[in-house]
Amino acid sequence: MDNKIINKMNNDQLIIAGKAFSSRLFTGTGKFNDQATMVAALQASNSELVTMALKRIDMQSKEDDILAPLIKNGMNLLPNTSGARNAKEAVFAAQLAREALQTNWVKLEIHPDPKYLLPDPIETLKAAETLANLGFVVLPYVHADPVLCKHLESAGCAAVMPLGAPIGSNKGIKTAEFLEIIIEQANVPVIVDAGLGAPSHAALAMEMGADAVLVNTAMAVAGDPVAMSRAFAKAVEAGREAYLAGLGGQSQVAVASSPLTAFLEAG
Amino acid sequence: MWKSKVKINVNEQPIELDEQANIEQLLTFLDSPLKGSAIAVNQKIISRSEWANYKLQENDQVSLFQAIAGG
Repeated sequence: MDNKIINKMNNDQLIIAGKAFSSRLFTGTGKFNDQATMVAALQASNSELVTMALKRIDMQSKEDDILAPLIKNGMNLLPNTSGARNAKEAVFAAQLAREALQTNWVKLEIHPDPKYLLPDPIETLKAAETLANLGFVVLPYVHADPVLCKHLESAGCAAVMPLGAPIGSNKGIKTAEFLEIIIEQANVPVIVDAGLGAPSHAALAMEMGADAVLVNTAMAVAGDPVAMSRAFAKAVEAGREAYLAGLGGQSQVAVASSPLTAFLEAG
Repeated sequence: MWKSKVKINVNEQPIELDEQANIEQLLTFLDSPLKGSAIAVNQKIISRSEWANYKLQENDQVSLFQAIAGG
């Protein structure tokens, strides 16, 4: 391998709002069968940033203490605003999360429709402006809409998180053409979030030049979540390395890889 | 000595506390972890740094939130 690429990979850090990440695989904590599996899977993923949610607790049933093992393993927490149906609720949720987790980072997600969980662009932009003004590091979950992503960047978001496919659908990257435009135009990191169902999907996002991906369901519901998380980690690294190496161009017709001519003439 | 009580609601559940009880004491009483929790009283978020001094009043509507798993 070219030494330049090795150097690039070794010094390849993702910086979001001044914080450096060595791993470009972000993860979620939802849907794992049990906490031990979750922690083992997150460790196998090498992820340095994990999302979590906030809930108004039911006084009749106790929630697991999910926080302690994550903090113990040195993971940075990214609370989300899941459950918020509009900008006002999302801002309230972000402020609660800041108190609960003592971080001003927030994954802003507003998806009022429970069937497709598609993000509401108007409410998301409104909330992003308010939260950025309040000093939050805002990472908004949005549709792969290049114009919206530029608006969010102008609003002061630290990154954008366009979707590949609906949350938890495992369908992969259905928005490739638009993700490419977003990546080309963005001045903030682009994190492809939602819908990545297989390591190959994550590798594709990274080959396209995404700065990071966020994966949750595909790991949590895999036959072996720990092995799947390791596979995602490898795919993200491979995709990133391919991007840095520079992919060859495509051609409609064959381009011979072997010099056939000299052999034919010899006969 | 007889202590007077205040009645409050926590996530719609009625709870009786000693008068002058603060939010930290409420969380201890509920056996709820201090870490990963957030509190709003009458829809207003109370910052963690105020918990020890924030005295709960009769009829306060307390909302208690906790960090849970999520993507």
